Amino acid sequence: MAKKTYDLLFKLLLIGDSGVGKTCVLFRFSDDAFNTTFISTIGIDFKIKTVELQGKKIKLQIWDTAGQERFHTITTSYYRGAMGIMLVYDITNAKSFENISKWLRNIDEHANEDVERMLLGNKCDMEDKRVVPKAKGEQIAKEHGIRFFETSAKANVSIEKAFLTLAEDILRKTPVKEPNSENVDISSGGGVTGWKSKCCS
Amino acid sequence: MEFGEESSPALAFDKDAFELTVEDVYDISYVIGRDLLKISCKGEEVSDLQFRIVRVLEMFETLVNKYNLSLEELKMERDNLKSELDRILQERSSGQGTQTAGPNQLLVDLTDPNRPRFTMQELKEVLQERNQLKAQLMVAQEELQLYRSGILPQAEPAMVEVDLDTPAHSRATISEAAKEEKTTIGKLFSFRRK
Repeated sequence: MAKKTYDLLFKLLLIGDSGVGKTCVLFRFSDDAFNTTFISTIGIDFKIKTVELQGKKIKLQIWDTAGQERFHTITTSYYRGAMGIMLVYDITNAKSFENISKWLRNIDEHANEDVERMLLGNKCDMEDKRVVPKAKGEQIAKEHGIRFFETSAKANVSIEKAFLTLAEDILRKTPVKEPNSENVDISSGGGVTGWKSKCCS
Repeated sequence: MEFGEESSPALAFDKDAFELTVEDVYDISYVIGRDLLKISCKGEEVSDLQFRIVRVLEMFETLVNKYNLSLEELKMERDNLKSELDRILQERSSGQGTQTAGPNQLLVDLTDPNRPRFTMQELKEVLQERNQLKAQLMVAQEELQLYRSGILPQAEPAMVEVDLDTPAHSRATISEAAKEEKTTIGKLFSFRRK
């Protein structure tokens, strides 16, 4: 393959209950579009978006997971390679908020120790149906020492900001070195190279 | 109950023992009592015997009564069980929905075209392949864009040739199947026209 079109490759992962809007959040970010029809993600999917941060072209490979429990074994195998994980809940769905601790536990069990985490309260355009106060989201994020944004994929609120912030946080931790190869490594979940293995290789 | 029985109580003596009713017992008692009266004048022994016979007839009444009641109960029980069995059989044949399974088991209707039938491992492999192809497509797309924007020399037509070799039919299928890739097809065509 000929020329590198980016300087760094960051692998991000979206997790959270089924129906909170993970795919829509990603679709807004990658294609700047929104679709109201709900199509449950089958297992795992991904999108690519290249952004520029601090003069560096950063290719974001963003993995979108199925929230449904039946895909659990497939989705958790993709945690390992992630450098950043976005945990999404739905501000109109109390259960999705209660399950945050369960998702955080999944991260602890399956992801790299130094993975950058972020909490998103999605669907903040639906103020009339809100059941989770913003303060509660802020509080739980603070308790776990992670960043928090309320977002709306539909109204395009804070979506780009969230992704760029997460990428910046990862960039800050990334040693300034010659970046990786061109290949988009897609192999199995475990095979997705984490940044650790990357800087060691 | 036959009509003649009432007119002639003696008929009860001819009946099958298991078909006797309490009324038959009363008929029998009536006949025996009547016959005893004919001989009661003969002495004290006969009157003692008379009491014993009455006692036996009373026992007989109780037994017949009890037997008939038990028989009735058993018949009812049998009918209940029969209708219960019919209900269960019908439930099973009409719909699987109400069937019960263990707490961690799933019942699969083999006639349902949408039934689950692939393993998690198979799904995993299909998804991996899908994502791999998607990644390859993206790499190809990127390279194509580089060619178009003139960053890379346009001399190597290999990719274009591959594209031309693709049968028109399969190209159409691809564009239909993956709507989001439509722009790629568009790019390919505009590139070819150059």
